Amino acid sequence: MSYESWILIVGSLAGVTCGITGCFLILRKLSMLADAISHTVLLGIVLAFIVSQSMSGIYMLIGAVVVGLLTAVGVQMLHHAGIQEDASIGVVFTFLFAVGVILITVFADDVHLDVDHALMGEITFVPWDLVQWGFLPELPKAFLMLSTVLVINLVIIGLFYKELKITSFDPQMAAAIGLPVLLIHYLLMGLVSITTVASFDSVGAILVVAMLIAPGASAYLLTNKLSIMLLLSALIGVSAAVIGYYLASWLDVSISGSMATVNGIIFALVFLFSPTKGLLSRKFTMKKLKMD
Amino acid sequence: MNPVVVENLTVAYQKKPVLSNVSFEVPEGKLIGIIGPNGAGKSTLIKAILGLIPKAAGEIKIYDKKYRPKDRVVGYVPQRGSVDWDFPTNALDVVLMGRYGHVGWFKRPGKKDTEIAMECLKKVGMEKYANRQISQLSGGQQQRVFLARALAQDAKVYFMDEPFVGVDAATERAIIELLNELKRQGKTVLVVHHDLQTVKEYFDHVMLLNVNTIAAGPTEEVFTLENLTRTYGGKLSFLEKDQLIVEQK
Repeated sequence: MSYESWILIVGSLAGVTCGITGCFLILRKLSMLADAISHTVLLGIVLAFIVSQSMSGIYMLIGAVVVGLLTAVGVQMLHHAGIQEDASIGVVFTFLFAVGVILITVFADDVHLDVDHALMGEITFVPWDLVQWGFLPELPKAFLMLSTVLVINLVIIGLFYKELKITSFDPQMAAAIGLPVLLIHYLLMGLVSITTVASFDSVGAILVVAMLIAPGASAYLLTNKLSIMLLLSALIGVSAAVIGYYLASWLDVSISGSMATVNGIIFALVFLFSPTKGLLSRKFTMKKLKMD
Repeated sequence: MNPVVVENLTVAYQKKPVLSNVSFEVPEGKLIGIIGPNGAGKSTLIKAILGLIPKAAGEIKIYDKKYRPKDRVVGYVPQRGSVDWDFPTNALDVVLMGRYGHVGWFKRPGKKDTEIAMECLKKVGMEKYANRQISQLSGGQQQRVFLARALAQDAKVYFMDEPFVGVDAATERAIIELLNELKRQGKTVLVVHHDLQTVKEYFDHVMLLNVNTIAAGPTEEVFTLENLTRTYGGKLSFLEKDQLIVEQK
């Protein structure tokens, strides 16, 4: 397959995976926690390398889940002990990320990872970073990781769809009917962790937040149904990746930066022009109500 | 057997007790009002009974057993303001959530559940709004959807947190009719309430609460000036108008 199509495929996979998972973050008002996890998984990757002495995908996913959950649990515990939630996120996030940065500089000679790469990603190199899994031919590692994570996310969201829905809408009611609300929260944070780490190589820790949040935020303004919101979010994620890629080739700029920018532009357009929840339509309705 | 028995319940946030040594029992098939000033711990009491917040001490029995959600004997109506009504879902879907406890893990609510949910919407006069996005409903309509969801839980004991707050007169009448209907079916309904003027009209029993249990029992015995004074304490002055009404009835 050509160089260009690999980048488009990997970008789209990141768009779909992040877009779907991100919807639940928006509905649960957890965008900032996702931001935190997207950074602290860096520590997970470094730890995975130190333990396994390899950059193998499976170790990276495990490392990400461990540190991602550590972040979520740490924030939960501090918050429960009376610290404000945003302050808890700020403390846990920066501490774990800082440890990750220190470890990277210590092991810099061995790890094919630097802080810039982790923060910004480099989708341009994705087609050359090939690995061989089982009976499969040699394929780009980012493609294999994102496909695996997409399947895991779809299976988990499919199995626990109604539980994710009710714990997002009304956690008290969910707890009253006996659902393990906190466990479901950690399950979702686990998904966010593996999603982030799989998207890491391509878009990096900062831009992955754009891919997690922007498509869901746009989809939220376009529909009144959760299932449609998930679908739209996935579609917007892919569109942003594809449009972003061509825009980047045309302007000769950073591909991941361009993908995230397109996500922002799509959100801005939806925010203004959404037929029901857009700024203009709301202004128009208000005006009409005044006239009547 | 009394459906709800609470003994020496104490709940504390940080170190401050919100409920202290609360004890009461409610008889089956009655409407019970939980009455008390702001900060008396009314919502906390319900949440503690349902196990939503940890208790520091005390015993809670639902039909003589420790409360277990999977027994599905309890229905719950949280305060309307406790959820985000902009959530992308419609009225029917919210009512269907009342069926989730019956459906169990890994399964979706089926046709039967949808029929039950529609029936419950009909009981609160909301069947026409089944497919309406919940943010487009009025406060009273949202409250009715919450009630319908509790009905869909098909429970024996219902806990309702301030169902009459911010609803129109028509909804208030509809709710009270529904509560009486539940009572006729032998269900027990506990309602957190703070409009003293309607207490005598609505409830068979009351439980007066202000961190401690002040009094609990049949309304005509317990809902007295003396008990109210003890419950509301220093806030008596703005109670006076209500007291007159209490006395006249």
